Amino acid sequence: MRKIPCSGCSLLCDDIIVRSDGIFVDEVIGACLKGKERFDQVTAKNRIVTPMIRDDSDLKKSSWDEAFKKVTKLLKNSNKPLLYGFSTVSCEAQLKGLELANLLNGFIDSNSTICQGKVLNMAKETGLTLTTISEAINKADLLIVWGANAAESIPRLLNKTLFSRGKFRMTGREIKTLVIIDPVKTASFGVMGVRDIALQINPGEDIELIKVLKEECCNPGSITSEGVAGIDNDDLKRLLLHLTGAENGIIFIGQGLLRTQSKKSVIRELLELVQIINVKQQKGRISVILIGGHYNMLGFDHVALSNYGKNHSLQFSNNQLIDTDDTIVSKIDREDFDCSIIVGTDPISHLPQELSKKLAKKPLILVDNKQSATSRIADVVLPSTITGIESEGLAFRLDHVPIELKKIVNPPSNIFSDEEILNQIIEKFKLK
Amino acid sequence: MEMLVNTVRMIDYDQVREYSIGNNETLKENLALGIVNPEDFKKLNLSPSLNLKVTSKFGEVVIKVKQDKDIPQGTIIMPVSIWANQITGIENNELIFKNIKVNVEATRDSVLTFESLLKSIKQ
Repeated sequence: MRKIPCSGCSLLCDDIIVRSDGIFVDEVIGACLKGKERFDQVTAKNRIVTPMIRDDSDLKKSSWDEAFKKVTKLLKNSNKPLLYGFSTVSCEAQLKGLELANLLNGFIDSNSTICQGKVLNMAKETGLTLTTISEAINKADLLIVWGANAAESIPRLLNKTLFSRGKFRMTGREIKTLVIIDPVKTASFGVMGVRDIALQINPGEDIELIKVLKEECCNPGSITSEGVAGIDNDDLKRLLLHLTGAENGIIFIGQGLLRTQSKKSVIRELLELVQIINVKQQKGRISVILIGGHYNMLGFDHVALSNYGKNHSLQFSNNQLIDTDDTIVSKIDREDFDCSIIVGTDPISHLPQELSKKLAKKPLILVDNKQSATSRIADVVLPSTITGIESEGLAFRLDHVPIELKKIVNPPSNIFSDEEILNQIIEKFKLK
Repeated sequence: MEMLVNTVRMIDYDQVREYSIGNNETLKENLALGIVNPEDFKKLNLSPSLNLKVTSKFGEVVIKVKQDKDIPQGTIIMPVSIWANQITGIENNELIFKNIKVNVEATRDSVLTFESLLKSIKQ
């Protein structure tokens, strides 16, 4: 029996117990459904375990040599390669991805750009009060889940932070207040107790609520009797009371807040509200935690920032980083690329069809271990190990804490880690 | 009828699981769907044999419909998938996955298979 961190989602639970002989995983204790699915992928019937090359219209099994030859040929013929994904691989693989982008004079971006990276970008202007999961477990008395279905996207987040007793408190769940703000009554609403606040907000009106809260913090008495954004007056006052009175309040920011509303950034307004409250608060503070799905989405931001001084959307030219306002969205939309390397993600399923079609027009090289829409249209597929089970590596938890993922079992024969595959591409490209 | 679509990740309708252990049929079964309030289901004159045609300014898709009283009226929840992304789009370099205005109508048209969607993307 071993205690290991789980790479099922960005919470990277480090209390999972596995029984394994190094060949098979015999038993997994303590994992949620997402974690269990991650372990199930080891023996999933659709797992990719052989490199594949497109021959005419069909993908055919090939040797690693043939696959790498094809990759090198595609990259040699490319002037504007695009590298994308890197949020479900280790930091070591992310570093290799950046090295490859630099070598190829390409553009590299991670899923973070269209997800929680937006919050980090905004924080450059507004500042950001972060906290950790340990703080949430041990000290939090107010948890606000805003625009996220935590129970289904990060299944153990609430049971760790809401139902924990905490090292520094005599009491647990009974002194913690949960506030959920969402247009839909999601599964997360199911854990609410009598003292909690369920706020079913009108779709796309979060910004109106934040503006009223900011105004009320600065100029008390401005809440109108009819409420705002579908939330009544009494609930608004209760929310404000908790926000300004909490000793250790945490706002979990979900995907629902990332889109611009009324031509304004909801994230900017929210981060400003947090600052206003923290200036006025005498006895406590409000912090934020970003809820991203992929287990190492934050890793790319950290690796890119610490090595190249920019957290995502990096364009290289003459083997140097150059300034660009482009993101993965604008690059694909303008078709400003002639070949793509996708690592550990499925943009053909995840992106709007307008972008998928443009991405699918150009040669696509995929490094991944599972079948997906992207693997079905790729020109070369390079299968990799499952990080955190079949290979080790570093990952950043959703609260920016680095966690070392472990190797538990050997991968299928002739399967390499993402880092090794990217390194091979670099070496073979240099030799050509 | 006008409605709003929100694409969300749902543990019961998860594309990674379908890609890992499912097949093209289960992919369609579990991902090409929308969940609406029973009142909207009635207003749309839907029945279990009918599908829903969802049209946004970015595209259109035919999906199966399920009912859930916890979904607010006027909203359709769709699991993140290649089907949902037929009606999502881009505005000012921003991906639009939430609160997408759509027109919906009951239809006897069938849901496109995964293979047909891939073909339309690859073309």
